[in-house]
Parts: sequence; structure tokens; C-alpha cells
Amino acid sequence: MKLSRIGFVFRRAFKSLRELLWTHVLTSGTMAMTLFIFGGFLLVQENLHGMLRGWGSRVQIFAYLDNRLAAAEVEPLVSRLSAYPEIESVRFVSQSEAWENFKKSLGSQSGVLEGLSADILPASLEIALKAGYRDHGALAGVAERIRAEKGVSEVEYPEEWMEKFTLLVVGIEWAKWIVGGFLLLATLLIVGNTVKLAILARTEEIEIMQLVGAPPGLIKMPFVIEGVIQGTLGAALSVLFLWLFFLLVRSQPAYALGVFIDRAQFRFLEPQSLTLLLVLGWAMGALGSLLSLRRFLQRW
Amino acid sequence: MIHLFRVAKIYPPNHSALADIHLDIEKGEFVFITGPSGAGKTTLLKLLVRGEEATDGQIVVNGRNVGRLNARGIAALRQEIGLVFQEFKLLSTLTVLDNVALAAEVVGTPARESRKKAFSLLRELGLKDKHDARPPMLSGGEQQRVAIARALVNDPILVLADEPTGNLDAEVADETMRLFARIHERGTTIVIATHDTGLPKRFPYRTVFLQRGHLRSDPRYVAGAVP
Repeated sequence: MKLSRIGFVFRRAFKSLRELLWTHVLTSGTMAMTLFIFGGFLLVQENLHGMLRGWGSRVQIFAYLDNRLAAAEVEPLVSRLSAYPEIESVRFVSQSEAWENFKKSLGSQSGVLEGLSADILPASLEIALKAGYRDHGALAGVAERIRAEKGVSEVEYPEEWMEKFTLLVVGIEWAKWIVGGFLLLATLLIVGNTVKLAILARTEEIEIMQLVGAPPGLIKMPFVIEGVIQGTLGAALSVLFLWLFFLLVRSQPAYALGVFIDRAQFRFLEPQSLTLLLVLGWAMGALGSLLSLRRFLQRW
Repeated sequence: MIHLFRVAKIYPPNHSALADIHLDIEKGEFVFITGPSGAGKTTLLKLLVRGEEATDGQIVVNGRNVGRLNARGIAALRQEIGLVFQEFKLLSTLTVLDNVALAAEVVGTPARESRKKAFSLLRELGLKDKHDARPPMLSGGEQQRVAIARALVNDPILVLADEPTGNLDAEVADETMRLFARIHERGTTIVIATHDTGLPKRFPYRTVFLQRGHLRSDPRYVAGAVP
């Protein structure tokens, strides 16, 4: 498109924005509310993911070894496990080390252990997983394979809460797209109606432009740009509301936040989520305009 | 310049607006299309710029097969044609100057150059002092001159006018026709649809007569001198 035409398109878009200012502001407000709700899901989801990652780095699989396993067989087992693509490290904890750890954990009450033999606790392997494999699914899969290894009598990992937490994260992901999707669709119709008003207000002008040979793109582009400007404003407002919401939540006393939210780790949206909100705003604006144009642009 | 071959237009459900039209208009001609209301004059003009689609036949305007044009092609065709209407079709929200400049801008002329061109045309048509006025503040004759300025701003090779004197009194109508004659003298092809049979008598150019959608006569005469 020629430079002069770009200037023409923007002048017409801004003229229409001025003429139907409040209609456009209200539409941007509606877009902002939709994107705020969608962004709220993103905020919760990102923070839960963050927590999951934080906990995941501390999550370990404990493989208790068979008492009958010979000392010479431990090293090959460690080597085999270390070769798993999911496993980051394997640490051998001997029976005596386990006993010492247990005693330490009892602290001043360790006296209750007097008279007991140090070999009542089994030797074990503390297994840490690599970053990409710390979710419930990967943990369960790796645990299953370790369980099948010769010399391993029992495998433990924080199965139940990992499963619940992962389900919660997945649930929020779905809710984000289902609730968010409906809201985005409804907002698309509202944007479409605003553009319809803008088209009706300029029917005469559009007709004259068509008569004097304005290319179809030149007639449509100002409306699309109006939509994109509305989307940008809507996205910017939603980010502002989300930021205020974020500050509000973070300012709450720790006990009010419950166990799930660690204030120090509660973070605002990542740049890619902010970009997603902006792109969704643009997409709603541009699509709403194009849908209306298809329905309402008549040819002379 | 314009070639129509067996052109027909039927509006649903079964109203024949034009039937079996054969017409050739050469470059630089001045042609009146006359006939009573409902004869098909406006439909014929609309077909020439693809404002309507012909039901049958072929239409070629300035080498373009009108029936085969896509949206961009239609826009390109209209950029070569100046259109003038009985009801002027000016935007009341814009000044006279902006109304004329708009037509230049939409075809890609930079804004400043469009305004310069528009101003120069308005001056030529005697509307220099009115360039800042809104169309409703002007008389019918003045509004029609603004519409003609808009039609001319892109230097069209063809001007199509649909009842351009329909809303004007006799004196202003003749003045407007003299303006068309001046434009024609520069080599622009002019086609004017009018129900006023007096016009071809006062301005004796080739006249095509339409009646109930049929071409009744095409005398191809030019009687007398151009006024």
C-alpha cells in the first residue's frame, strides 16, 4: 500500500474513533473485562506452574533397596538409573547413613532408639529428576520403571498431592480456554456491532468512496484499524486491572492467602502472556471488524 | 471506448430492465441516452461501472470486460471514470474542497496534492470562494458543479452523468451542460442519461433513445455546432 494511502487509512480510522468515541470506549471496556478474566486465569495458572516447578526441584523418588542386595551390585544399579534420560542424579544412602539421618531428625528424643540395631532401616537411593520431568505423569512413569529394577524392594514419591496439584493446573488450563473462549466470542460480537454502527454512520461516505474507485482494501482497512486500536486499548486496560489485582492480592497478609500462595513467589504475568493478551485484543478487534464488513458492506 | 453486445438486465423475479442492447460509443464522443422514467437509463449507466451485473451479454469499457472484473478490477475501472448524479451525492460533513479532494485521495494521490488539484478545479469551475463551505450551503447548480469537479479530479477518460440537470432550473441546467461541453472539448468522452428531451435539441450531440429497456433509435447525428 502506498504511503499516502496509509496516511489516508489512519486519518479515517481516527476520525471514526472521534465521531463514535463513547461507543468505542465502551467496547474497549468490554474487551478489557474479557481479557482481564482471561488474564486472571493466566496469572493463577502461571503462579501454580511456578509453585509446581519450585516444588518439583525438591521432589525426589526414594527407592528402597532389598536387604539381600550385595554391596557390589549397588554401583551397577546406580549406573543403570543414572542412564535414564529423565534422571538428574542418584545418591546412595547406606543403612548407617539412614540411621544417622533418622536419629538426627528425632533430635533430643533420639534416645528412644537406644537398643535398636542400626540395620533396621534399609539402604536407599535418592533420585532427583531433570527439570522437564518433574510433573506427576513423568514421576509415575519413572517410578514404575525403577520399581521393576532388580534389587529395588519399594519405591516412594509424593504421589497423591502431585496428582491433585497437576489436576488443578490442568483444570485451570481448561477453564481458561472454555470460560475465556466464550467470553472472547461474546466480545467479538460486541466489537462487530460497534463496527456495524461505524459502518452505518458512514454508509454515504463508503458509497461515494466505492463510486470514485476506492480499492476494497482502502475501504475496509480503516475499520480494521479501528478494531485493532480498540483491542490495544482493551488489552492495555486489562493489564492495568490485572496489575492492580496482583498488587491487591500481594498486599494481603500471609494468613489470608492460604497455603497455596507464597507471597514472595507470587509473580505478575510473564512477557509472553502479556503478548498473548495484546494479540487476543488485536484479533478480537480485527476479526470483529472483518465479520461486520462482510455482512454490511454493500456494493453500489 | 464503450461496447455493449446483446446486453440484458433482468431484476428478480422477472422484470426486464434492459433487453438486447447493442451500443458502441467511441473515444471522445458526447452521447445522450434519453427516454422516459423507467426506460432503463440509470440501469445502463450502472452496468457500465459494474454497479449492477448484466444478466446477459458483454460489456467492454476502455478495454476492460466489465462482467469479468473482480472487486479490485471494478475499483480500477471506476478510477478511470468520473460519475455525476442527479442528487449530487456530496458529503455534507465535509467542505466542498474536501469532497473533491477525497476522490483524488482514494486513488492514491497524496493529501496535499489532492487538495491542490481540487482547489485548482474549483477555481476553474467558478467555485473558488466556496471551497470552505459545506455542500448544503450551496445552490443546486453550485452543488452540481462541485460534483462535476469531483468527477474530473482524477482526469477521467470518460464521464458518466445520470440526470445531471434533473434538479436544476433551465438556466442553470444549460450552464451545467455548457460545462460538460467544455470538458468534452478537451477530449473526454461524455455519456449523459437524461429524460429531458429538450437537452439534445439545445445541445445536438448523438442521442440514443431507450424505451422500456429497448434501444429504439440511435441516429448518430450531430446537428449543428456545439453551443
